[in-house]
Amino acid sequence: MGFLTVLRKMKQKEKEMRILILGLDNAGKTTILKRFNGEEIDTISPTLGFNIKTLEHRGYKLNMWDVGGQKSLRSYWRNYFECTDGLIWVVDSADKRRLEDCRAELHVLLKEERLAGATLLVFANKQDLPGACSSEELKDILELEKIKTHHWQIVWCSAVTGQNLLSGIDWLINDIAARIFTLD
Amino acid sequence: MSVVSEQRKNLPDKHLETVINKEVITPEDVLRIPKITDTYLCSPDANIFEIDFTRFKIRDLESGAVLFEIAKPVPENLEDNPDKTTENEEAIDPNAGRFVRYQFTPQFLKLKMVGATVEFTVGSKPVNRFRMIERHFFRDKLLKTFDFEFGFCIPYSKNTCEHIYEFPNLPPDLVNEMIASPFETRSDSFYFVEDCLIMHNKADYAYNGGVST
Repeated sequence: MGFLTVLRKMKQKEKEMRILILGLDNAGKTTILKRFNGEEIDTISPTLGFNIKTLEHRGYKLNMWDVGGQKSLRSYWRNYFECTDGLIWVVDSADKRRLEDCRAELHVLLKEERLAGATLLVFANKQDLPGACSSEELKDILELEKIKTHHWQIVWCSAVTGQNLLSGIDWLINDIAARIFTLD
Repeated sequence: MSVVSEQRKNLPDKHLETVINKEVITPEDVLRIPKITDTYLCSPDANIFEIDFTRFKIRDLESGAVLFEIAKPVPENLEDNPDKTTENEEAIDPNAGRFVRYQFTPQFLKLKMVGATVEFTVGSKPVNRFRMIERHFFRDKLLKTFDFEFGFCIPYSKNTCEHIYEFPNLPPDLVNEMIASPFETRSDSFYFVEDCLIMHNKADYAYNGGVST
């Protein structure tokens, strides 16, 4: 039995998943995390560190990590890669000026060896704003079709209204579960 | 209020004694302590990373109501004159910031899903493998252990962590006893950096708020 198999078996017992939420600053990472957990979202300020939530969802223990996205903090992201099962990349779909920056950061991230085994969910957030790019447009701009190393999916959402958050996260969990817990 | 019979066992506790005398206290050490400790297992000075807890919050997931929230006021003009402040302050209990007393109503023990948030700030040094072990006891009975590794903390960062959990299913007899015995439900919170104890906080709990005795 290989080391990875042993790890899988250990995780299987607790059905634990580690989910890392990243993206540029002001993309809505913390708002998504709070909204998903039924918390007030009217007093959110820029994250200058991390926000963690541990919760049970559909019989899985989820550890969700939201790390600040400001430029000065991005060099610290790598400290949170270890053991990540799922990566949620949050995009401000209305901030067209920074989509190129967003694309570049995402593709740098996907080269990381320690994220190699992670499923990628791209949240096309802020769909409630006028002028927001659709998820089809973002798929092109962010060059998602080029990604061959990870299972990925793009899902439109609005953290403010809560629309589509659950279906996005459920897709992520299903994909991780299929990869980790049913392999033997 | 009825006088609660104290059944404090004064049996010598070999393990605890050994732990107290150790220079470096590890997670394994505290996980084996079978009760609330009588003393703090490290001095306030052990916190060389200037980790500071700035907020505690408890909410009920079903109603969304915030049941408890306490935030440390943000220090103002700290640079103004640090010497002056220290001189003017009265002798402060060095353990004052390490202890919290919670007073709840009996309804609290009927909750199903609870979210407990802590917020903390970190000083100028990066922190590696930051881990919390929290042990809740009623008298000498262990009710729940939290064991969570935050991992790395960014210098000068402000971080939050919310544990959302199902309230432990306690037998009705035990619940009644806990309500009748304020502050005999207690917790020890141990914080480690790279497996070395750097902070130890305590709390106690009453669940008889609003109950006439």
